[in-house]
Amino acid sequence: MPFVTDTYLRRAERDDLDTVVAWMEDPEFEHFLYGDPARSPKQIRGQIVAMLGRAVGHTMPGGIYLMIDSREYGPIGLFSLQHLSWRNRSCNIDLYIGNKKMRGRLTTAIALYRVLEYCFDELNLHRVAAIIYAFNTASWRIFEKTGAVRELSLRDHVKRDGEFHDVYCYGLLRAEFEALRHRYEDAVEGVSLRAMIETLAEAEPGHES
Amino acid sequence: MISGTHTYIRSAEPDDAPVLFAAYDLERPRSCLLDGKREPLIPTRDELREVLGRKEAAQGTFYAVEDSAGRVRGFCGLRGVNPEACFGEVYFLLLDEEDYGRPLAGEVFAFVCGRAFARLGLHKVVAHALDSEVALRAFLVAHGFESGGIQREAVYARGRRHHLETFSLFADAVPKNTAGPGCSVAAAEG
Repeated sequence: MPFVTDTYLRRAERDDLDTVVAWMEDPEFEHFLYGDPARSPKQIRGQIVAMLGRAVGHTMPGGIYLMIDSREYGPIGLFSLQHLSWRNRSCNIDLYIGNKKMRGRLTTAIALYRVLEYCFDELNLHRVAAIIYAFNTASWRIFEKTGAVRELSLRDHVKRDGEFHDVYCYGLLRAEFEALRHRYEDAVEGVSLRAMIETLAEAEPGHES
Repeated sequence: MISGTHTYIRSAEPDDAPVLFAAYDLERPRSCLLDGKREPLIPTRDELREVLGRKEAAQGTFYAVEDSAGRVRGFCGLRGVNPEACFGEVYFLLLDEEDYGRPLAGEVFAFVCGRAFARLGLHKVVAHALDSEVALRAFLVAHGFESGGIQREAVYARGRRHHLETFSLFADAVPKNTAGPGCSVAAAEG
């Protein structure tokens, strides 16, 4: 199986705490975060501890956190699947790219594709949504490329640096993701979630080929 | 608390739990009764009694709407206020759908928006309506709410997927003295 990218997804652990806190304390990064920008470092740390520390192995958590990791660059970013609803079969995706050098790269698109596979194939969801600031152009463009539809456009919905900004909400239904997968069948073969897992297994010490 | 021509709007109390319970119906889910994950649910009367006894109810952000005969016709209020962005979510829950087209509903709108804009100084409010809530949608549009779009198939109840529409209303689109015909927020709360 060709290894198109050396990045992979893994569950976010307590050991990732310092990395994620360092990202979130960066003012440039914080600008794009949803919520109160005036939080203290202690509050940020408390939030991250709550995020990474609450998922007991045998229970399904309310949120799932997946690190985008790389053999070459180390941790790159974090996916957060929030508001997981088993009844509606839906969730909200938040994407944070902490490593500034990796922003806007194909790596992010591949990671997002894998997460969407995880949502639809593994979690059996029907709908995935993302709420994104209008000024975060790179983020909403990447969602649009997955076939997600801009469903909501909320005018002057958030305040940053004293100015109001619009917020967009994107929605992607299972059928739309299937259409995307079908359309790029050949291109995604080497970067799919399954390919990533198989490649990681092959790289494990003691693996017999 | 607020006495209008057609309504008497007061803080909801634990005794209102049986009436509120009647509004929960999975066959006809209501946007304002969805939980934080947008899931329709049926709470018990005891749970509702507890919710209505909580601090936010006592502080007056969850209101019961009575008609002139003293019957509870619905509920309304404001929640999720974001002080930084100066917006909050308003909700209007009238038990009889036809009430959305009656003068009673106009007083409820004026009361809630009067609180949001005149008293709390919010910049805008948002409201939601499921595709099945036709009367509520018409009521919101008639009172100046503008649709921001529709979240497709966002809610599942009893074998059917529902679309959820989000509306916004800005403070500058509402007259400054909005508090309901025949009533005044300042006078009533003073």
